[in-house]
Order: sequence, then structure tokens, then C-alpha cells
Amino acid sequence: MIVKEWCMYCGECAGVCPRCLIEVRETSLNFNEEGCKDCRICVQVCPVKALAKEE
Amino acid sequence: MKLIETEILVIGAGPAGSSTAKHAALNGAEVILMDKKSEIGAPKRCAEGVSKEGLSKLGIEPNSRWVTKELSGVRLISPNGTDVWMKEDQVKLPEAGYILERKVFDKFMAMEAARAGATIMIKTLARGMRKDNNGYIVSCESMGEDLEIKAKIVVGADGPESRVGRWGGLKTAAKPKNMESGIQFEMVGVEMDDPDCIEFYFGSVAPGGYAWIFPKGDDIANVGLGIISTYTDKTAYEHLLEFVKNCPATKNAQPVELNIGGDPVGGMIKNLVKDHIMIVGDAAGHVNPLTGGGIITALEAGMYAGEVAAAAVKDEDYSEKRLMEYQEKCKNEIGNSFDKYLKTKDYMLSLSDSDLDSIAKAFQNTEFENISTKELIKLLIKVSPKALLKLGKLF
Ligand SMILES: Cc1cc2nc3c(=O)[nH]c(=O)nc-3n(C[C@H](O)[C@H](O)[C@H](O)COP(=O)(O)OP(=O)(O)OC[C@H]3O[C@@H](n4cnc5c(N)ncnc54)[C@H](O)[C@@H]3O)c2cc1C
Ligand code: SF4
Ligand code: SF4
Repeated sequence: MIVKEWCMYCGECAGVCPRCLIEVRETSLNFNEEGCKDCRICVQVCPVKALAKEE
Repeated sequence: MKLIETEILVIGAGPAGSSTAKHAALNGAEVILMDKKSEIGAPKRCAEGVSKEGLSKLGIEPNSRWVTKELSGVRLISPNGTDVWMKEDQVKLPEAGYILERKVFDKFMAMEAARAGATIMIKTLARGMRKDNNGYIVSCESMGEDLEIKAKIVVGADGPESRVGRWGGLKTAAKPKNMESGIQFEMVGVEMDDPDCIEFYFGSVAPGGYAWIFPKGDDIANVGLGIISTYTDKTAYEHLLEFVKNCPATKNAQPVELNIGGDPVGGMIKNLVKDHIMIVGDAAGHVNPLTGGGIITALEAGMYAGEVAAAAVKDEDYSEKRLMEYQEKCKNEIGNSFDKYLKTKDYMLSLSDSDLDSIAKAFQNTEFENISTKELIKLLIKVSPKALLKLGKLF
């Protein structure tokens, strides 16, 4: 997952990830990429489009 | 690795966590309240509106350190600009309230927890947990140091992320249709018709939600909106930029702060407890599904959680069965009304811009006596036959 520089670590993406894979730290995000099912729900809800999936 | 033991560990020091920690400590329990942030309350993710009634019900005295504005009315604006004014000098507004300074308020609430006897750990992130013979061991990271905290009861007060509950087997993940994407500028140079009134804008300006202007004194206001991502192809940020550009009150305003956050508006989570674990606040869906407001309910649910957790510690019974007392209390005091608001929200979301304009027109010609969220819904039922059909039996 690509996290853009303007991510504000609000945690909305973590709240909707059905597999609970996103750890929101104070100034960074950790993705457990191994478990990711590529559903892109996290990308969809971000209020500022700060996530992109690596193609 | 360092291991700390406690009776109750509360993860997250927002209103829900601080209230839980305070009430658990006041009832004699040994409590740790932790938050990953370096400053409790910052950054704010909130429009900061609360009702006076809500605070007073919880025995919280308004304090000039965290009240920025006392409100005296509400203005509702439909998509074509038809507006409905409700001011305290003309109608009773039991839910009229205050605009807070959350950065100060949240810290104040955490201080109250500390004064009650809770130990506060800031800049401490919970990373996961595992079952122990009589509780949970939570893996944490604090200023680069890994540590473990062993607790008889873990309370997940971790806001919309709500991961702690999931670590304990509770189903707290929000569906995208139930997660409102909130975004807001704090602005200066806002020109409101009446800066003592809060404003709500409905319709396609904020698909799935609404836009707001909440005054904070002088020409300062929180200007924001909430959308549901499944209702629009644009981001919340794009909707906000459009709103600010087109709204007469903000045409000349400048942002001094950008706030974003998720607001879980799908109603209360069904199961709030399991053996040794409880969830509270946004993490438990304690957010009014119609308004998106969750500060008062977080504080209220925190009070119940703290009291029940402390009693469970006294009884040395941390079972799901013992902790159910908390879930029942939340259901009766919070969840049942949320079910009705959820249905009202679904109905509101089915309305087109022109439906909303007609309702606003009908409201303009109506005499109000007492205005609360419930009274407004009753009025809606009066002026709209469709609403009578959908909501008549509920209110
Ligand atoms: C844009 C927006 C506007 C809103 N406006 C209003 C309003 O006007 N009025 C109203 O009543 N409500 C409003 N709300 C809702 C309100 O902000 C929330 O309901 C309220 O903050 C819930 O409190 P809480 O304590 O449950 O969660 P939060 O306030 O989110 O606190 C959770 C805390 O947990 C911490 N945390 C999370 N994970 C971890 C971890 N793993 N380890 C350690 N710490 C962790 C976080 O850092 C945070 O401090 C709004 C929400 C949004 C997004
Ligand atoms: S929702 Fe967007 S801004 Fe918020 S933490 Fe996730 S990626 Fe960052
Ligand atoms: S793509 Fe889906 S599974 Fe992967 S991190 Fe995002 S929400 Fe989780």
C-alpha cells in the first residue's frame, strides 16, 4: 500500500479494514500486507485520498 | 521485557476512555489509561458541539477553559437555501449547547481520571494482545521501548479504529456504508447571519451526511461535513472545498486548521463485552447515527463501563456474564434510541434535494414550541406523509 505524504493518521481506514490489518501510529501507518485481500475499502473511505494500491 | 500489572487497562484517552478510567478509579479499581498520542486531545477530529442537557446529566460543570461558545439557536438550510431558524428566545431548545475546545476538554477529562487515581501513560501504543490465565497481556510500545501490560479487564476505548475489541474477538469493523468520512476546516473570517447559532446544511452538498458551521466566537467557526463514501465518487475533501467556495458565510474565510476523521454511524455494536474485555465510545458504536454526535454518549457509556468494571474487580469475576451488566445499561440508555435514529437517518437519506426543499418550506410555516432532535422528527412526520409512513410508529 502506498501512503501519501498528506495522510493525517485519522484511522478511518483502520476502522473499516475487514481484516484489521492497519496499525495507525501517531505519524505513520503500518500495513500487514501479507493478509491484504486487496478489497480497497481502506482506499475508498479515506477523506483525503491518501492511500493508493501498488499496481 | 518490562511487564506492568494492573486491574483495569483502558486503551485510548478520548472522552470514552477518560470517563471509564475516572469512574473505575473512583470506585476503587487500580487503573491504567493509555494513549498513543503525545498530546491527549490533539489533533482534534470533531466539530466540538455538545448539548447543555448532556453535560448536566453527567454532572459535568461547564468550564471557561474548554467552552468557546454558548449557543442560542439553530439554523437548518435546505439545498435551495430555504432556511428554518429556531432561537432560544422564541422556542425551548433543550439540546442547545456549547462549542468546546476539544484539545483542552479531552485533556481536562484525562486530568479528572488522574485526580480520581488512574495512572496515565501517553505516547504508548497498544499493538496487540493475548489471553493470559486470568486476563489479557497487551503488547505496547512507549517511546521506542517495548513493554507488556497485564490486566484483568481490558477496555477498548480506541475510537473509530476499534481494533482492541477485534483483538478480543468482538465484531467491531465498520462497513463503509456505516462509516461517515468527516472533514472540517477551522476558519477565520466566517460571516454568519447569527454567530450564536449553529448551522446545518442538508442534501447533495454532503451525500450521506450533512454540512455544518459551528461558531467558536468572533469570526471563527468549524466548517465541515460528513459524507458516506458509497454515496459519492468525490472525496470528503473535494466536497468540503466546494461547500466553502459556494457558501455565502465562508466565501471570504480562511482555514487555519484541517481536521479529518471517521465517525461510525451504524448504531451500537451488538456485543460490547466478552470475558475480560469491554468496548466503549466510538469503538462500540456509541455515536448517534442521525447527528454523528458521540462526545456525550462516549462519556456516559464510559461512566457505566468504569462502574461495572470496578464492581467486577471487587467481585473477582471478569466473565462475560458479569460484564453484561454494562452492555444492558448501554442498550437501555443509549442503544434503543439509536435504533430509532438509524431508521430516521435511512429515511432522510432517501430524500431528494427537492423533497428536502419542500420539507424546509413546510417547517417555515410551522409554529415551534419545544425543539429537540425528537421533536424535529415528530414535526417531520407531521409535514411529510412519506415520513409518517416510515417513522410514524417509532416516535
Ligand atoms: C469530523 C467529525 C466531527 C464530529 N463532530 C462532533 C460534534 O460536534 N459533537 C459530538 O458529540 N461528536 C462529534 N464527533 C464524534 C466525536 O468526535 C466522537 O464520537 C468522540 O470523539 C468519541 O470519543 P472516543 O473517546 O470514543 O474516541 P476518540 O475521541 O477517537 O479517542 C480514541 C483515542 O484512542 C487512542 N488510540 C487509538 N488506538 C490506540 C492504540 N492502539 N493504542 C493507544 N491509544 C490508541 C487515540 O489516539 C484517541 O486518543 C465528530 C466526529 C468527526 C470525525
Ligand atoms: S483514512 Fe486516509 S488520512 Fe486517515 S489514516 Fe487512513 S490513509 Fe491516513
Ligand atoms: S485493501 Fe482491504 S484488506 Fe487490504 S488493507 Fe485495505 S481494507 Fe484491509
